Order: sequence, then C-alpha cells, then structure tokens
Amino acid sequence: MQFPIYEVPYLGNGMTIALDAVLHVIISHGLAIGAITLIVISEYFGFRKSSNDWEHFAKNFLKFTIIVITGIGVVTGVGIWLITSALAPNGIGSMLRIFFWPWFIEWIVFTLEVVVLLVYYFTWDKWIGERKKQHIYLGVSYIVLSVSSAFLITGILGFMLTSDGWPWDKSFLSAFFNPSFLPQLLLRAALAFALGALFSMAFLLGTHNVNAFRKEALRLFGKVFFISFSAMIVFTWWYFSVVPSVFKTHAIMAILTPGFSQRPEIFYAMNAIGVFILFLIALFAIKGSVSFSRILIVPALLFCMGFVTEFERTREFIRGPYLMPGYMYANQVLLDESLFLEKDSMLKNAYWYNTITDKADIINQGSYLFSRNCSACHTIGGINSIQNAVKGRSEDGIFVILGHTHEMVPFMPPFSGTEQERRIMARFLYQLANGRIIIKAPSRFAPIKEDERK
Amino acid sequence: MNNLYDIPLEKPLSDEWLNGLLFTFFTLHMVFVLLTIGTAILSVYYFLDSRWGGKTNELRLDKRIIRIFMAHKSLAVVLGIAPLLLIQVGHTIPFFTAVNLFAPFWMLIIVLLIVSFISFDTLGHKINVHPDRHLIFGIIALFSLLIVPAIFVAVLVTAENPDKWLTIIAHGYKLHGSLAYLWLFRYLHVLGAALVFGAAFHYFFSTKDETEKKSLLKWMVGGILLQIFLGIILYTSLLGKADSVANVFLFIGIIGAALLLWVIYLGMERRSTLNIWAVLTLLMLILVPMLLTRQFIQDKNFVPFEKQLQANTHAYQKAVQAYNQKALEKYKSEINVVYDNGETIYWKSCAFCHGENMDGKGSEAGNLSISPEDLTTVRTTRQYLHTIFTGGISGSAMPYFTVFDKYKLESLIDYLDKNHHVLSLPEPLPVNISDSLIKQSQKIYTETCTQCHGIDGKLTALSKGFQPPPPDFSVYSLSPERAFDIITNGYPGTVMYPFNNLPEDVRWGLVKIINDKRTK
Repeated sequence: MQFPIYEVPYLGNGMTIALDAVLHVIISHGLAIGAITLIVISEYFGFRKSSNDWEHFAKNFLKFTIIVITGIGVVTGVGIWLITSALAPNGIGSMLRIFFWPWFIEWIVFTLEVVVLLVYYFTWDKWIGERKKQHIYLGVSYIVLSVSSAFLITGILGFMLTSDGWPWDKSFLSAFFNPSFLPQLLLRAALAFALGALFSMAFLLGTHNVNAFRKEALRLFGKVFFISFSAMIVFTWWYFSVVPSVFKTHAIMAILTPGFSQRPEIFYAMNAIGVFILFLIALFAIKGSVSFSRILIVPALLFCMGFVTEFERTREFIRGPYLMPGYMYANQVLLDESLFLEKDSMLKNAYWYNTITDKADIINQGSYLFSRNCSACHTIGGINSIQNAVKGRSEDGIFVILGHTHEMVPFMPPFSGTEQERRIMARFLYQLANGRIIIKAPSRFAPIKEDERK
Repeated sequence: MNNLYDIPLEKPLSDEWLNGLLFTFFTLHMVFVLLTIGTAILSVYYFLDSRWGGKTNELRLDKRIIRIFMAHKSLAVVLGIAPLLLIQVGHTIPFFTAVNLFAPFWMLIIVLLIVSFISFDTLGHKINVHPDRHLIFGIIALFSLLIVPAIFVAVLVTAENPDKWLTIIAHGYKLHGSLAYLWLFRYLHVLGAALVFGAAFHYFFSTKDETEKKSLLKWMVGGILLQIFLGIILYTSLLGKADSVANVFLFIGIIGAALLLWVIYLGMERRSTLNIWAVLTLLMLILVPMLLTRQFIQDKNFVPFEKQLQANTHAYQKAVQAYNQKALEKYKSEINVVYDNGETIYWKSCAFCHGENMDGKGSEAGNLSISPEDLTTVRTTRQYLHTIFTGGISGSAMPYFTVFDKYKLESLIDYLDKNHHVLSLPEPLPVNISDSLIKQSQKIYTETCTQCHGIDGKLTALSKGFQPPPPDFSVYSLSPERAFDIITNGYPGTVMYPFNNLPEDVRWGLVKIINDKRTK
C-alpha cells in the first residue's frame, strides 16, 4: 500500500471508527433532525395557541440541543472522516474520488444547515411578534436542509453495502442510487423522528414544566414516537429485503459476536424486549401518564440507541469482506491487486515496509503482513485479538487456513501475498499465539521496535 | 520516493481547479478559525480581568465575547470540511501520509474539540453562577482548543516536505530540527493572527464603551507587532524557498499590516471609532496575500513530487490491471454464494481439508501433518459435533466456527448426517468375535489404552493435555473399519501410535469395546 499504517492499540481500528460513528448517528439523527423538528413544531404551537409553555420549552430545549449538535454532533461527524484518514487512507481516499461531487454538495447543504440553525438560535428573542412567523419558516427551512444532507450521505453509505452495477460500469449514478438507497433513507428518517421524540420526552420530563402542559406535550411526542417507531419497523424490513442474502445471512452473528453466536435466542429476546418497552412508552405517553413515562424513558432511550448501534453494526459488518464491493477489500487491498500480490509478493511492493524496516526477520515480516492483511479488524493483544483467534491451531493448520480465509469465513478478505509470505505469517502467528513471540500492543507494525519485542 | 504511487482512480477535477477551490475555502475556513481562537483567548482573559480586576457588573465583556463562540466555532468546523475534502483529493499522498505519521494526535483532535466546545458553550451561559468552576473549565477548554491548530500545522508542515518523512519516522514520529522550528513559528503565527482577528471582531461587535474598545485595540496592535516579529523569523526559514511570486504576495501582505497599524494609530490620535469596512478590507488584504504566499511555497514542494507519483501510479496500475478481469469474475461468482445452508458451508469452509467426498482427502490434506478426519466414518452425537465446531480441536488445524451462528452449524450437522449418517451409532463389526477374545481385548484395553482413553471412554487426566487430545468414546466413535485402521496404523501426527503388533482379532475386539462405550 502507498500509505504507512497505524493501528489503535487494544481498541482496534474498526472499534475506534464505530464508537465515533454511533455517537454521531445518534446526535445527527436524533437531535439534528428529530429533536429540532419537534422544537419547530413546539414553537409553532406556542405561536398558534399563544402558549408561553410551548414557547419556553422549545427555547430551552433548543439551547441544549444546539450545544450538543455543534459541540459533539458536528465534531464526531467530521471525526469519522478524521479517523478514517488516519486509519484507512486508501479506503476513504478512493471513496472521496468517486463521491467527490455528492460530498461536495453535501458540504454546501450542511454548511447552509448549520448557518440556518445558528441564525434560528440567535434570532429567537429578536424575531418576535410579527416576525415570529418568519422565525418558524426559518426552522422549517432548517429541517428541509437537514433531511437533504441525510439524503446525500445515504447514497454514499448504501453504495458500500449494495454497489450493484458500479464494479462493472464505474458510473456515479449506479453507485449513488443503489438498491438500498431508498429504504435506508426512509429508515434513517423514521429513526430520526423516533429518537427525536424520545429525546424531547426526556427533556420534557427532566425539566420544570407546568403539569397540564407536560401532559399535552407528552401526548404529542408519544404519538410522533408511535408513528415513527412503527414506520422504523416497516422500513427495517424493507431495507433488509434488498440487502443481498450473501451479506444478510451473517446479521445475527454480527450482533452477537462469535462469543454468543450459538445463543441466537439472546438476539431475539433482546430485540423483543426493546420493541416491547418502546411500544409501552409510546402507549403511556399517548395516554399522558407522566409517572410511567418517567420510569420508562431511560430504558427506552437506551434501547433506541441500542437499535441504532445494532443497525449500524449490522450494516458495517454484513458488507462483509469489502470496503468497496467489487473494488476494494476491507483491508484496503484492491480485488485485482490481491491477485497481483499473490503472484508477485506483498512485501516487495510495500513501499513503507521497505523504506523503514532495516531487518527482514520474522517479526518484522510477519507483523507487516499481519498489519496489511488483518489489522483492519484484528489486533495483537486487544479486542478481537489474533492470538486468541489462532490459539490451538497447528502451524501447518494456520498456513492452510490463511490460504482459505475468504471462502472459509465469508466476511474475511483473502490473504494477499505469495505462498512463501503465507508461510512466514503462519509461523509468526503460531509463535505469537504460543508466547514464543511477544509483542506489546504495537501501533506501528514496521518495524517492530526492540522495546516492543520480548 | 522511487516507487510510491497515488490512488489509481481519476481525480474528479483538474489540479488547477482543485487548488483554486482549495485556496478559496481554506481562506474562508481560516477566517473563522482565527475568530474562534481569538474569541476563546479573549474571553478567558477578560474573565480573569473582571474577576480579579474588581469588575463584577452584570453585562461583562467576557460574557458578551463568549456568547458568539458558538457561531464562530461551528462555522470554523463546517467550513473546514471543504478544504479537507479538496486537499485529500488533490494532494492525496502527501496529506494522508502526514496525517498517518501523526495519527494519534490527529484523532485526538476530536476529543480536544468536544471538550473545548462543550465547556465554552455550557459555561458561557453560567459565567456569573460558578466563577471558580468556570475558571477551571475555561482554562481546560482554552488549552484543548489551542492544541488543535498545533496538530494541523504539524500535519501541513509534514505534508509539504515529503523529503523529510523518513527523518520524522527516524525520530520516533516527531518533528525534528528545522522542521520543528518551522512548525513552532507557524503555529505561533496562527495564534498571533487569531489575536488580531478576534480583537477586531469584538471591537466592533461586543464592546459597549470606550474603555472596552481601547482595551481591545491594545490586543490588535500587540497582535500585529507580534505577527511582524514572528513573520521575520518565519521568513528566514523560507529563504530560497519563496520564489518571486510568493515574495510579491508577502510584500502586499506586509503593506496591508502597515496600513492597518496606521489606521489604528490615526483612530487613537483623533479619539474616533474605527471604520468597520476599512478594518475588514485591510484584514483581508493581509490574510489573502499571506495565505497565497503559503500556497505558492507549498505548490513548489508538491509539483515535482506529485509528477513522480503520477508516473509510478501508471506503472503500478498497469501491473495490477492485468488481473482486473479475473478479479471481477471471481467477485461475481462469490457474491452469489449464500452461506445459509450446510451444503454451501461444507463446500466452502470444510471441503478444502476434508475433501469433496468428505473422505479427508481435500486439496490441502497434503499440507497437514495430522491428516483431516475421514468424515464418512464419523459416528457421533449432534452435541459433540457442535462442541467441536464451536471449539475446534486444539493442536490440530481444525478451527472453531463460531463465525457461523447456531442455525448454520445445525444445518451443517444435518448435511453431514444426510450424506454419511454421522449421527448414527457405529455399525456392527464385519467379523464375528468370541467372548473369550473380548475378555482378552478388554485386558489389553485396561492395561494399555486406559492411559489415554479412560475405562469409560472419556479422556484421562493425562490425555486431556494432549495436542490434539483423543476423542471422547462415550459420545464419539468411528465406523468399525476406520477404528480398526487407526488401531492398526495409528493416527499420524498424534500420540496414537500403531498397535499392529497385536493379533488381528484382538484389534477387532478392541474396536468392539470402544464402540460399545457409546452411552449416547
């Protein structure tokens, strides 16, 4: 590869991106789209009913929301990009070249979105009386912009799962309007309103409000939640029906991880409990029951965020061994490049390995081959540790398995490198798993420094 | 750099366009970065000033300054996306390489910004309520914020100097020597500019009276003087690198700075308020040429380097492209294989060792010192097979398959059973054996075999530690022929050695004894 490699010790690269991305999705969907829509609706109610309660609630909730959106939501959004630039430069670099225009347009829409949000916030106390109507329109235009920006980013995300015609025609339109585009967009929209309604309820129940108003607002948010959560279930079903079976079939394992993959009942039970609790809070909220809603709001929020995590984890996981289907494997090796490296040699073609490694011993060779082939998902001694994965296997067994990773485990990419390199890596992994090579959670694989070895 | 190559995909725009857009949006981004940093520094300074300077009136300057932080920082971040996009597309290799060399710091930016933004924005609302808490959080917030441009400057300095990458790595991924010097002063130069921009902004938008205005003017003048000082130092490090175009822009910027100082001086002389348009124009007259100077010096480094990259990319692409058709065909066939049934899983995940006929003669069998089991002869229980599939067999090549959920493994077991009734009890012996022979075999089993196999067929304390351990005969057996074969010839690669010295009928007797141990 043309880039040096960095791996986050212990946590691993995938988990680092995931933590940031899930936080971003919860805020960008739940607050930036969902909650602000309800804030604009609340402001409208305050205006139409001349109600100070609605007006106050909307204003205070906006203050909280905008601090979280601009302080965490925006930063974690850019953060996904910052992290991938450091950890998967070939992947993000290639995506940027294909999706330059949607990303660029998305940026313009996003910039407008933030500007409108800031104006909306700073003019709250200034555009009053006659101008209140304009202020509400401003809020509506923000909602339109935020949904458009979700529209643009969904095309890019869907591409990574269902690239369909792109690997052959390499045209932008077939990449962007891929089969999972529409169901995913609708699913994300429903999710945004469901999460937004829950956040609104939480804020309503957690702050001082007049009782009568609290009941009235709770009923509204309950209805919004009920409708959008029901829609979420329908769209989830639609979304999964367009995902190719080859990816979909690993969904349960993706959520339960190998540790619990033999207990699928956990998967069903947790989802059922989640759905039950969420419908329960919807019913209590629609009935206007403040006390029951108060008991349920925290588990409801946790389960709803859990569903977000589940959805994103499944989406990321089931696209299997590909970072860009038909073009690039998850370990940033191109599909055709993998065949080339198998014939020619991975180490020979590794610019950074050759420039900065002075000693071609098994630790340096093995750890570099590991970093290129495996470190997108596995770590040495951390989460999804490779030592645990190969522990107990004989050295010749590891060698054979390395030659079949891709067919044996359908979501693993193939090993890229010559047979000789496969032997080196098998020996390296065997010795690593059996404690004959000890490396302390390295972040750079080439070279492994003296103080990282034992 | 001889064989470093770029990403083999077309750039969406020509380099000229990419660079032009990059410059435009970078400038816009920098305006708000400078305002954000300036606002942060000034708000903390005026907080200290009003807290310990005896000014505790309600409408304090620090509170008015910090209120706008939300807008500045949001725009700075949002407007930073376009230059990030453009530089990553236009200067892919230098930028990503620099980012990677400072990867931990680069990712730390996310945490620093969140800490800083949340602290400034929430505490900005409650300055008067908890002054001491505000002081602590304010300092943490400011400190976090000020690290961020230091990281960006380090990345840019590194990206612009591909010839220094190996030196940076050799020094433990740290800037060193002249590069460190360049980094430090460029960073300070950003902070100086932030003071000028921040002070100018709040001079016009946050001050309420003359004293406050005068105080901010001091920051502006101080900032400009600092910039001139830092600029001179920076210029000395650029000697020889700045060509005539860069020098012309630099000169225009310096004139702008001089004019700004002069305008401020006039304002002070006449005790009149500065004109916002004059100041804004002059600030842009400084910022734009200065950034252009930067751009020209940067391009001078990039151009020859990227030309070389392009040539290398073509060469590498050519070598790889020969495999393109084959790769696509492989991909097309793979995405139609669904691993949701035992048959597919067997063919994809098992057959390369256990063979197309399940006889243990797969294409890889020859590479393994312990030959894969002949599955046609296995007679065991569902439970035991499942245990093997989820735990593998330690000491052999047989891996665990928890990557498949329970339904898939069950379906694999069904598939094996359908083809070779692996879930049945072993067949009766093909030969007749007398009771006395059984007794004789039993004696041998008790004396010899129980070392490893246990009288009940389970593992013994000794054999539990074997790599691989023997099977548990109470739940696992083989067809009589296969069992006889193993007793006679041993299981190569394992502790089980050949007992061909025993009479043939005794060996058949042992087969019966073993197969009778099945309790399930």
